[in-house]
Amino acid sequence: MKPACFFGASFVMTLVAVTASAQPPAEATIFEAVDNFIDTRMAEAQVSPAPPASDTTYIRRLTLDLAGRIPAVAEVQSYVAAADSDKRGRLVDRLIESAEFPEYMATRFDWFITAGNGGIRNYLSTAFQENRGWDQVFRDILLADLSTDQGALDYLKSRVADTDKLANEVSVTFFGVNISCAKCHDHPLVADWTQDHFYGMKSFFSRTFENGGYVAERDYGLVSYQTVDGDQRQARLLFLTGKDVTPEDLSEPNEEERKKAEARFRELKKKEEAPPQPKHSLRRQLAELALEDGQNHFFARAIVNRVWHQLFGRGLVMPLDQMHTENPPSHPELLTWLADDFVAHGYDLRRLIRGLVLSRAYARGSRWEGSQRPPTELFAAAIPRPLTPTQLARSLSLATTDQSQLDCEVPNGLQQAVAEAAEARNADRFDQPEDGFQIAADEALYFTNSEEFEKQYLHAGLKQQLLNIEDRRQLADNAVWATLCRAADEEELQLLGDYLTEREDRREQAIEQLIWGLLTSSEFRFNH
Amino acid sequence: MSRNSFCGSQDHAMSRRRFLGATTTAAATMAGVGVFGDRALAQALKQKDKRVIMLWLAGGASQLETWDPKPGRPTGGPFFDTATSVPGVRISELMPLVAARLHRHTALIRSLNTENGDHGGGSVLMMRGRKNEPNLEYPDLGSILAHELGQADSQVPDYVSIYSQTEGRNFSKIGPGFLGSRYAPVQLTDRMGLENVTRPGSISELDHHQRADLRSLWSQRFARGRENEAVGSHATAYGRVAGLMASDRLFDVSREPQRVRDRYGPTQFGEHALIARRLIEAGVPFVRVARAWWDSHSQNFESHQELVPELDRVMSTLLDDLGERGLLDHTLVITTAEFGRTPQINPSLGRDHFATAWSSTLSGVGVNPGAVYGKTDADGQRVADGEVGAGEFFATIFQALGIDHEHELYVGARPIPLVNPGIEPIREVLA
Repeated sequence: MKPACFFGASFVMTLVAVTASAQPPAEATIFEAVDNFIDTRMAEAQVSPAPPASDTTYIRRLTLDLAGRIPAVAEVQSYVAAADSDKRGRLVDRLIESAEFPEYMATRFDWFITAGNGGIRNYLSTAFQENRGWDQVFRDILLADLSTDQGALDYLKSRVADTDKLANEVSVTFFGVNISCAKCHDHPLVADWTQDHFYGMKSFFSRTFENGGYVAERDYGLVSYQTVDGDQRQARLLFLTGKDVTPEDLSEPNEEERKKAEARFRELKKKEEAPPQPKHSLRRQLAELALEDGQNHFFARAIVNRVWHQLFGRGLVMPLDQMHTENPPSHPELLTWLADDFVAHGYDLRRLIRGLVLSRAYARGSRWEGSQRPPTELFAAAIPRPLTPTQLARSLSLATTDQSQLDCEVPNGLQQAVAEAAEARNADRFDQPEDGFQIAADEALYFTNSEEFEKQYLHAGLKQQLLNIEDRRQLADNAVWATLCRAADEEELQLLGDYLTEREDRREQAIEQLIWGLLTSSEFRFNH
Repeated sequence: MSRNSFCGSQDHAMSRRRFLGATTTAAATMAGVGVFGDRALAQALKQKDKRVIMLWLAGGASQLETWDPKPGRPTGGPFFDTATSVPGVRISELMPLVAARLHRHTALIRSLNTENGDHGGGSVLMMRGRKNEPNLEYPDLGSILAHELGQADSQVPDYVSIYSQTEGRNFSKIGPGFLGSRYAPVQLTDRMGLENVTRPGSISELDHHQRADLRSLWSQRFARGRENEAVGSHATAYGRVAGLMASDRLFDVSREPQRVRDRYGPTQFGEHALIARRLIEAGVPFVRVARAWWDSHSQNFESHQELVPELDRVMSTLLDDLGERGLLDHTLVITTAEFGRTPQINPSLGRDHFATAWSSTLSGVGVNPGAVYGKTDADGQRVADGEVGAGEFFATIFQALGIDHEHELYVGARPIPLVNPGIEPIREVLA
C-alpha cells in the first residue's frame, strides 16, 4: 500500500510536446486547446505551474467531480498499479459511463438551475443518462407543456407567476447574465444593456401563464414600461445580443376577440384540458433565437463557463452571472474556442467534461511551494474546493464503511457495492458552497459533539475493521487509506502511532478519535 | 469600468474583515472563555465594536398605548398619558418607569410610515430596512451586524435570536440572505443555548482536546501551500468550537445573582432580556429578544394592560443594567415591531394592523437622548410631520453604531449599499 507517483507514458509525452503557442492546431482535442491557452497565459505572466497531482490525488479529485464521492481504496490502488499509457482516459470513461455520473450531475445541475428545489431533478437525471444535448435540455425546460413534458415542466410552472423573475432567472442560468439591474434603470456597469434589454427579455415570457396546471401562452399582450425619465415605452422583442425580432405588425386583437379567448382559457381550465397552442409562441421564438448561428454565443459560453467553474473552482469569467463586455474572461480565446467546439459537437456535455478533466490544467497539484501563490485565474495550481453536501455526505459514508466487506471480485460488482456504500444520508445538514463560501461553526460543532455523527461515522464499519489490526502502523495506514485515499507518510505514521500508544488503556476510544481526526481534517473536507 | 475594479472591490471587503479579525482577536478570546462580567473586561469592550439588543414586539404593539398616546380623542382608548423626564413629552401611563428615564438614553421616533401592514411582509421589512428583490434576498440587521461587527474567529455566537412563543414565529423570516450561512442567526425557541455544545459522554475532556489538536495538526499540514479563504474558514470554524462550548453558560440565568434576576422580573421576557445582556457583555454583536403576541385584533386594552407594563419594566431594567455596567456606551437598544396598530378601535375593542403612522425607539450609543422626532395628527391617523420609512430607520441605526449607511456589501461584483440609495438617516435623533 505504498503511494506510487508514476504517470502514464502519454501524459509525460504530452507534457514534453506542448510548448506555448498562440493557437492550438485546428483539429486539437479539448485538452490540447485548454493546455495551449492556459500555458500561453502563464508564460506571459512568467509563472511556472505547480507540479502534476499524484495518481492518488487525481483519482480522488476526479471521482469526487464525476461520481460525487471519494474513491474506494480498491479503486485507488488498482488505478495506481495500472501501468498502461491510457489509464487516465480509461478512468475518465469508466466514471462517465457509471450509473453515479448522471445522478451526481443531476444533483449539481438541479442546484444551479433551481437552487436545489428538486422539481426537475429526475428529468435531469434522465437527460444525463441519455446524454441529451444541452440545447435539447434548454428546449425541454423552456418549451415544456403538459402534452410534451419530459418532466421539466416544474421549472416554468413554479416560476410563471412572476415573469420578471422568470426572465432574469433564464438569463442568469442559460445566458450567464444578470439583467435585474436593468429593470429600473439602464445597467450601471454595462453600457450595452439598457432597460430595453430587460423588458425585451421579459417580453418573450409575458404571454405565458398557468392555466389549470398547464403552462399556456396567449397570442396577444405587450409589455410596456416606464423609463427613468417617466416616459411610457413599448418593449420590443429584443435578445441580449441586440437582435430585435419585433414583428412589423404589432396590432393587438380587439376587446371582443380578447374576451372570447379569455373565456376559452377559463373553460379549458375548468375542464382541466390542455390550452390551445399559440399561433406564434414567443417562448419558442426565444429558444430558437438563442440557439441560432451568430446568436448562440451567450448560451454556449454560459454553460462552458459553468462547467469549467464546477471542475476548476473558478470560472473563466467571474462571477458566473456577469458575462458581459465590461467583465472579460481570464482567457478570452480559450472560452471562445471551447464554446465554438461545444456548438460544433452538438452541445455534448459529456464530451466537454471529458476533455476538460483530461487536461494538464485540471490535473495539477493544489499545493504551491513557491513564495507567492499566483492569481487563481492563471490556473497554475489546482484550487482547493469545499465538498458539496452530496460529496461530503457520500464520502463520509464510504470512508467509514468496512471496505473489506465490499464485493471485490467482479469489477462491476465492486462499482455497485461502492456506490451503495456511499449513501447520501445527512446531505441536508451541510451547506451548499457558493463563491466566497465560508464554513460555519455549526458544522464544526456538529462534527465535534453530535451523537448522530458519533454513532453513524465513528462507530461504523471502519472502526470494526481497524479494531482487528494489531500493528499500530498498519492500523494507521489503513485508516488514512480509507478516509484520505492515500498512504500515510513516515511522519504521519509516527504521529498516529503515538496517539494510539498513549491510549493503550482505551484502545477502542483511541481508534474512534483517530477516525474523527481524519474525517474532520481539511484534507477530507476539500477537493484538492 | 475595468475588470480590476470589480475584483478590487471584493478583495477590499475581504481584507477589511481580516483586519478586524487580527486586531480584535485578543479581546474576543477573553470575552468568550474568560471571566464574564469582569469589570476590566467591560472597560476593554467599551473601546471595541458596537453591540445591539433588539426588543421585537412581535405581532405589532400599539403606539397609542406606548409611545404616542392620544388621550381624550375618539381613538385614544381608556388609558391616560403621563409626563416623562423630557419636558413636554408625554407617553402612555402604562410606561411610568421608561417615562422617568426617557431623557437618559432614549430617542423616540413617532412618524414611521412603513406601508406594509402584513405580518410576513412587515417582518421582512423591519428586519432588513427594505423589501427583498425577486432575485436577491437581503441579509437582516442581525446578519449585517454579525458581518460588520463580529470577529471572524469570535468565541461567542455572532447573532442570537430568542423567540419562545409560537405565535407569529413563522412570520418572522430572519436570515443572512446573500451573506450566507456563516452569518445565520442562532435561533432559540424552547431551550436557551446552542446546539451541539456539550461534549459527548463517551470521551474525556482531555481526549476531546487532544483529538482536536490532532485534527488541527493534520489540517495545518494540509493547508500549507493551499491557503485560501475557504480553507481558512475551516480552521476558523473549528477554532471557535471551544469558545462556543464555553459560551453555553451565557444562556444560564441561574448564574446571575438573585437580586439582578429580581430586577428583570419573573417573566420569560425578563429572563430573555437578561440573557441578551449576558451575551452582549461577552461580545455577541447582535441579540434579538422577541416578545409575542401583540396582535390585539380584539380586547386591545386588556392585552396592552398586561404587555405594556411588562415591556416598561424589562426595557427600563435593561437600560439601567447596561448603563451601570458601562455597556450603553457601545450598545444600542432598538424597540420596534413589524408595524403598529390602527387608531380606529374596532367593534371587538381591538386595534388592527397599521403601518401608516407608528413609533419605535432607539436607546444607547449614538443616540441623542430625549430627542423626539416626528409627529402624528390629533387622532394618530397620519404622520403630520417628519415622515420616515424603514430605510431611514435603518440608516439611523447604522449611523448610531458608527457604520456608514452608504457602506457597500457585495453580491459577486454587484455593490449593495446597506440601505437603498438616496436614503438618509434621521439626524435629529443621532448624538
